[in-house]
Amino acid sequence: MSADADTSALDVQGYSLRYRSADGQFDALKSIDLTVRRGRTLGLVGESGSGKTSLAWAIMRYLPANAQELSGTLLLAGEDLRTKTTRQILEIRGARVSMVFQDPSTSLNPIMRLGDQLAEVLIRHRGLSARAAFEEGTALLARTGIRSPAEMMRRYPHQASGGEKQRVVIATAIACNPDLIIFDEPTTALDIVTARQILDLFTTLREETGVAALYISHDLGLVSRIAHEVAVIHQGEIVEQGPCAEVFRAPRRAYTRALLAAVPDPAHRIGTPPPDPATPPLLTLANINVRYGELPWLLRLLRPGQAVVQGARNVSFDVRPGELVGVVGESGSGKSTIAKVLAGLQEFSGSVAFAGQRYQGRRAFDRAYRHAVQIVFQNPDASLNPRQTVATILSRPLKLYGTVPPLRIPARIAELLARVRLPAQFAARYPHQLSGGEKQRVAIARAFAAEPKLVICDEITSSLDVSVQASVAELLVELQRETGTACVFITHDLNLVRQLAHRIAVMQHGELVDLFDTADATLPDRAAYTRTLLDAVPTLARIENGVVP
Amino acid sequence: MRDLLRSPAGLVGTCLLLLVGAMMVLGPLLAPYDPQSFHPRARLQGPSLAHLLGTDQFGRDLLSRLLHGARNTVAFGLGATALGVIIGSIIGVTAGVIGGWIDSAIMRVLDGLLAVPDLLFTLLIVTMLGAGMGYAMLAVSVAFTPGMARIARSAVLSIRTREYVLAAIARGESWGWIIGREVLPNAIGPIVVEATIRVSFAMMIGATLGFLGLGAQPPSTEWGLMVAEARQFMFRSPWCVAVPGVAIALAALGFNLFGDALRDSFDPRRRLR
Repeated sequence: MSADADTSALDVQGYSLRYRSADGQFDALKSIDLTVRRGRTLGLVGESGSGKTSLAWAIMRYLPANAQELSGTLLLAGEDLRTKTTRQILEIRGARVSMVFQDPSTSLNPIMRLGDQLAEVLIRHRGLSARAAFEEGTALLARTGIRSPAEMMRRYPHQASGGEKQRVVIATAIACNPDLIIFDEPTTALDIVTARQILDLFTTLREETGVAALYISHDLGLVSRIAHEVAVIHQGEIVEQGPCAEVFRAPRRAYTRALLAAVPDPAHRIGTPPPDPATPPLLTLANINVRYGELPWLLRLLRPGQAVVQGARNVSFDVRPGELVGVVGESGSGKSTIAKVLAGLQEFSGSVAFAGQRYQGRRAFDRAYRHAVQIVFQNPDASLNPRQTVATILSRPLKLYGTVPPLRIPARIAELLARVRLPAQFAARYPHQLSGGEKQRVAIARAFAAEPKLVICDEITSSLDVSVQASVAELLVELQRETGTACVFITHDLNLVRQLAHRIAVMQHGELVDLFDTADATLPDRAAYTRTLLDAVPTLARIENGVVP
Repeated sequence: MRDLLRSPAGLVGTCLLLLVGAMMVLGPLLAPYDPQSFHPRARLQGPSLAHLLGTDQFGRDLLSRLLHGARNTVAFGLGATALGVIIGSIIGVTAGVIGGWIDSAIMRVLDGLLAVPDLLFTLLIVTMLGAGMGYAMLAVSVAFTPGMARIARSAVLSIRTREYVLAAIARGESWGWIIGREVLPNAIGPIVVEATIRVSFAMMIGATLGFLGLGAQPPSTEWGLMVAEARQFMFRSPWCVAVPGVAIALAALGFNLFGDALRDSFDPRRRLR
């Protein structure tokens, strides 16, 4: 590999990095070898904590003070970045290596106009005058597919959408024709349709400019669509590296195979068998409306014309006992609003019928309803009280609803932990001592501790790694099979929901635009928006059919 | 408790507080002289073997006065702060958890009170109630209430929208449980730190009131009063101001460091790292 160093944009050889911290040393990167050739894209795939972002910062020469580089070279077009002085690095950053971050809303300065942020790079590195930089910037924005670039140059970040902001960041990254662009999960913070557009833009720009790219991601499906080569990183080591098609078609290492197997594949169903369609529904939502930002009457008089946002508009659907209904949509589509309504956290109008009872409005929900309907939140870091042990967390629903006699509580906690496949000694731990996946299992155990009839899962897998996602999804299905609990599964991951759900509801701008049996997902009579969503989702299946970039 | 002593700040803070505590308990027993007895021939002296910390303008032994005064001074600070923190926290937490127009109404009233400086507010109350330590203490705690309420409320607001609180609401928990078990343990950190810092302020305000003749009355050995009384002789013998001044500073430092360490040990994420 190192023989063709003259044609490589980035050549990392034997690079090791260690972090020192209060409780000892942590080897973040262990003898990394990887090469990005000119005009090619290397996908660096790994789970969180695998060291992929550390590598990106090492290349950018922006390591924290407690990082210690043990060995290796970082060659950028043949020059070792490790030997450069700080001043030289300042010349290289932004001009010869640039970086596109995960979340455009935090990587852009909110008090600077987008145009100024873009022109800054051109003035600094290409020595353009302010006027020339503005014109050049406008041209760059036009290349990234922004419709009125001159107007966009004058806007502030909050006046642009997420996709537009990410286009500005990409324009900034390509502004100086760098040797290498590092993309650190550039689409994770965007919704599916926008992410798809950004990916298309990435492919177009790569063809136009011939820039080399290091594309960091945890999403194998996505990488399989855009990368030429793939490197799989696990606990600071590159476990497998090679041409994209080869690695994904015939992975050599067990870890890569496990990672690939964890990628949700709609063709591979893991859900429970569908309930009898003749059974009467357990839960019926009728004309649910939620309005955000509605003012009390006095303020309404003072501020006429204040916009009211409709979080949900006439949403109606039902859930049968034991059924899993998937609710999908982009961010802001109202899917989480429905979760909050069902959990009794959001005022609404309309009616919810549950197990023969009708509830109109949040305050109508009684103890029986709150006992029978449990919610699992997106982020297990936030949904478990950091001051309580796992045992306290799990014992709470048991005590509150009196599901088991007080003396049986410790035994029941052990049972619950075993059910979510966690060791019994976890009962004494605090949430921060657990990993993300383990925390989410505790949150699921807490919901099932109440012995509910319906569990609402609000994006429960989206903050987890791919491999952990799969095991959490399987766990949920298993619990459903054992207990016959119905489930409303809210997600933006269409592949995953097609594996789990019996029926799928699609939401857009607060409205339910489509509701269908999972088997009918690909039928041509689906709503236009459903088809857009389905097309936007990258699946691994496509490369197996031979569609490789 | 062991974690408290593991950090240097916690260790120093705890030592200082132990020292102050020992002075409060054993002070009068250890004092070599009667704190009120005059030694006309040894006025405004620096440290010597006879008077380890020197003497004041009446020739009273400073060490003995210091040891006797610890009780009054620190108890005043602790009592005033504890009262202020309890009242303020109850108001702040209630406002934060209930929210809506009740919250707005309470906070606007408190904002108005916050605009009045602590000392002026205290003076106002003392003038209405009358002079003396007990009233001064009450006055300081009332003056502390709006600030504490604001801090408690902001701590609660940042916790209230956390998902574990939402989960508790969704479970149908009572307000008592939500406030006591889900919100307060997570909001207590800033409240405790603020409270320990305020103990030193309370001691200072107590001293100021003593100086103005509205708090502790001479010949009390309250430290602030000692500073105030010796002020005129500051240039002839700095010891008579420095000794009680440093004592106040060390006690305040002790409370501050201890508060910081306490906050860290409250937090299980920091504790086990």
